[in-house]
Amino acid sequence: MTGYDLPEDDVDTYSRSAIVVAAAVSLAVTALLAWVAAGFDVFYEGLFRVGPTVEGGGVGADWVAGNTMPALDLLIALVHAADVILGVFILFLLLLHWAAFRRLAARMRSPEEAREGVAADGGTERPEGGEPE
Amino acid sequence: MTNLDHGKFTRMTTTFHSLLALDVFALFFTGYAIMFNDHLWWLLVLMGGNVGVVALHRIAGLGLVALVTFWVVMMLITDTGRSNFRKVVPTGDDIAAFVQDVKFMLGRADERHPNARQFAGYDSDEVPLLSYVGKGVVFIFAIELTLLVISGLLIWSKTGLMQYFATKTAAMAFVVFHGLLGIIMLMGVMFHIFEHGFHPAFYPLETKAFIPRRMIPESHDDEDVEGTGIERLSLAPSWNLVANLMGVLVTVGIVSVMTASIVDEGYPVPRELAVEGGVIELLLTIGINIGIFVLFVGLVLSLYGNVIRRRWERQLQEQRERPTAGDGEVASAED
Repeated sequence: MTGYDLPEDDVDTYSRSAIVVAAAVSLAVTALLAWVAAGFDVFYEGLFRVGPTVEGGGVGADWVAGNTMPALDLLIALVHAADVILGVFILFLLLLHWAAFRRLAARMRSPEEAREGVAADGGTERPEGGEPE
Repeated sequence: MTNLDHGKFTRMTTTFHSLLALDVFALFFTGYAIMFNDHLWWLLVLMGGNVGVVALHRIAGLGLVALVTFWVVMMLITDTGRSNFRKVVPTGDDIAAFVQDVKFMLGRADERHPNARQFAGYDSDEVPLLSYVGKGVVFIFAIELTLLVISGLLIWSKTGLMQYFATKTAAMAFVVFHGLLGIIMLMGVMFHIFEHGFHPAFYPLETKAFIPRRMIPESHDDEDVEGTGIERLSLAPSWNLVANLMGVLVTVGIVSVMTASIVDEGYPVPRELAVEGGVIELLLTIGINIGIFVLFVGLVLSLYGNVIRRRWERQLQEQRERPTAGDGEVASAED
């Protein structure tokens, strides 16, 4: 038997009823939150309240830049710090993976080698030139 | 045979992942058309100006609320959800994997730690459900999305917010908070696109998030493969160029949005749409647009993953209907 075994029913999976229940709860909660966010009202003016770049200034345009509440200032300062700290960390992770990928790529057969190699070692030919989907 | 990437996700998870990606991309395109409107004026115009873009952002926001709630409920009410949640909790091995990855980058380790591997070359059970990066992505994105949903709903309900915090400027601070918070996610998604699109063994796309686990044929016949098996794969001719190019674009995109988030402090939407002058502004404009281009690449790859899934499904279907065709093997590019 050279064929593969499909795992099919062996693997963990989610039941259809669980998905239906979760979807129903999710829609109900979303509808509720939308209703609360719109001020316990149907959408009649809620959607377009912020349009500060509209000619003459939309709602929000007259809000003075700057904020006097220390707690909110702190919150914004924290997010700024998080942006920078996590940004630098993400950049590091990117360089880490870039470098690791280059090392891994160096171990793979080069495209030219692969073309010649198929005939030379009589190995199995990769149907799509070694390029996984 | 080389054991390539065994399926790791259930069908529900693959579908959820694609929907979440589409929704988050919609939120990025609309949200940053608002926040960086002077840099991304074309995107703002393309999506119907201020009115259109804000409406689309809110619709996509409701989509996000629905998706997040759905996910939380699934994690709570199902055994699979609870067991998967346990597999996502970071362990000491994940820290070891990060340290070893740094060593691997510097040439001081020969292999990546199993908890860092995307390309397994191992039996499915020997490789964790998620790499250490994958776990970080799940946790950081989950926290981020929750905070974004809460702050987004608060901004939406401005009257409620003003009532609670007394002033309009306080409400405005939440708009700033919301936009700056999204920057972390924006940078993370750019990295995520690079990580899963440009691994040399999977290029142009790692399919584990698209082809559900139950559809992946598993074989453990051939256990005598030395190493991880990556030596047996051949590199795609375009990999070097494309991966380096994307590496540069992702770097520029991340640096630009990070810088802009520092420079553009204050209420993110100015009174008038004005392209500001100066070299820094010009560079930021170019950089942010490059970042948005990276997101478009991610969007295309996500759609491509779904095309592959459809093709894979059809192939399996045909195989079932003609079980004796060939020698019973599932035709697969992964063998």
